Amino acid sequence: MPKILKPIQKDKCTGCELCVFEAQRQLKKVGLEESLIRVFRKSSPDKEKQEFDLELDPRINMLNVEKIASICPRQVFEVIDKKEDD
Amino acid sequence: MIDIKTKKALIIDLENKEAETKSFPDLMKYIGGTGVGLKLLEIYEEKNPLIFSIGPLNGFFPFASKTSVVLKNDGLIEDLYLGGTLSTRLKFTGLDSIVIYGKSEEEIVLDIQNSDVTFKDGVTDIQSLGLPGKRCLMEYDGKKMLADQYFTTPENYLERYFAENNIKGISITGTEAFSPNNFEDYKKLYMSILGEKDGMRVDEGGYPSCSNCPMGCGKSKVGEIGGNVLINSLVSCQFADKIYTDIGMVFSCLNTLGYNYTHEDIENLPSLIEETIRRAS
Repeated sequence: MPKILKPIQKDKCTGCELCVFEAQRQLKKVGLEESLIRVFRKSSPDKEKQEFDLELDPRINMLNVEKIASICPRQVFEVIDKKEDD
Repeated sequence: MIDIKTKKALIIDLENKEAETKSFPDLMKYIGGTGVGLKLLEIYEEKNPLIFSIGPLNGFFPFASKTSVVLKNDGLIEDLYLGGTLSTRLKFTGLDSIVIYGKSEEEIVLDIQNSDVTFKDGVTDIQSLGLPGKRCLMEYDGKKMLADQYFTTPENYLERYFAENNIKGISITGTEAFSPNNFEDYKKLYMSILGEKDGMRVDEGGYPSCSNCPMGCGKSKVGEIGGNVLINSLVSCQFADKIYTDIGMVFSCLNTLGYNYTHEDIENLPSLIEETIRRAS
């Protein structure tokens, strides 16, 4: 059954970008260009506190999403089964 | 494509608002990072430069997550190490080093995208520069220089340089992508090194991480000063010394990327750097 990668705990992201690089490696690339995951640092007046936002291109689900989810040290992602009617 | 035959540096003259990219094949023997930074310091000694450098493993392997900063402070050479996203962004510009010298007449913000530099005035909102997700923003607020609004360096040497030369901020965006020839070996090695995280001398935490490091440790915020010559030339994190002082591991990484360094190159590095420091001092 096809799988879908979902960031369910964005608040736990520390911005390490391991997910970004794993997705790129699956595409045989090392870099950030045309990455299917983007990690953005949210601008915050509190410099001690950092929050991150994640943007996922839907094409990410054509990759091995379980591997991407498992490389995250903070368990930010969940992999769910795609239902037929989704 | 990974350039294994030369070191490429972006040379920025603040006084004349000029920039050019120069190739330094003779600098290959310095491996990267601080080794290359010190040699560039010697080459540009009369111009009192500030030099950011990365090593061959940055961007490619986990825990190789720092950027070397070399400068002179009151005539003394200082080497600092900055975390955050800078090392990966700099790698993806295709450059090995950025050399900045001269004093800008007015406050200035540098907008660097790969090898192109735009000189912006000091009131520019740095958040408006670069490509989000592919940039590192370094901002000096008059007290501290913060990269990614969080990471900094020990002491105030970098801040002093920014203040004295009217640098308000630097945005660096890298849009190049690489593909090591033997990609399957590269992937295996990457995962093997990532699996060594128990060998890190820091605890995992929930603090902002350096790019390509899973630790989220509380140490990375303030960066590092001085340390092991090989680590500093590869520009890995000092807390990854168990991994990156393993010469076999270092050779595996370098060979996978196509570099042809020999044991002698690694063995000669400390004396090469010592001589360079002596000449540049």
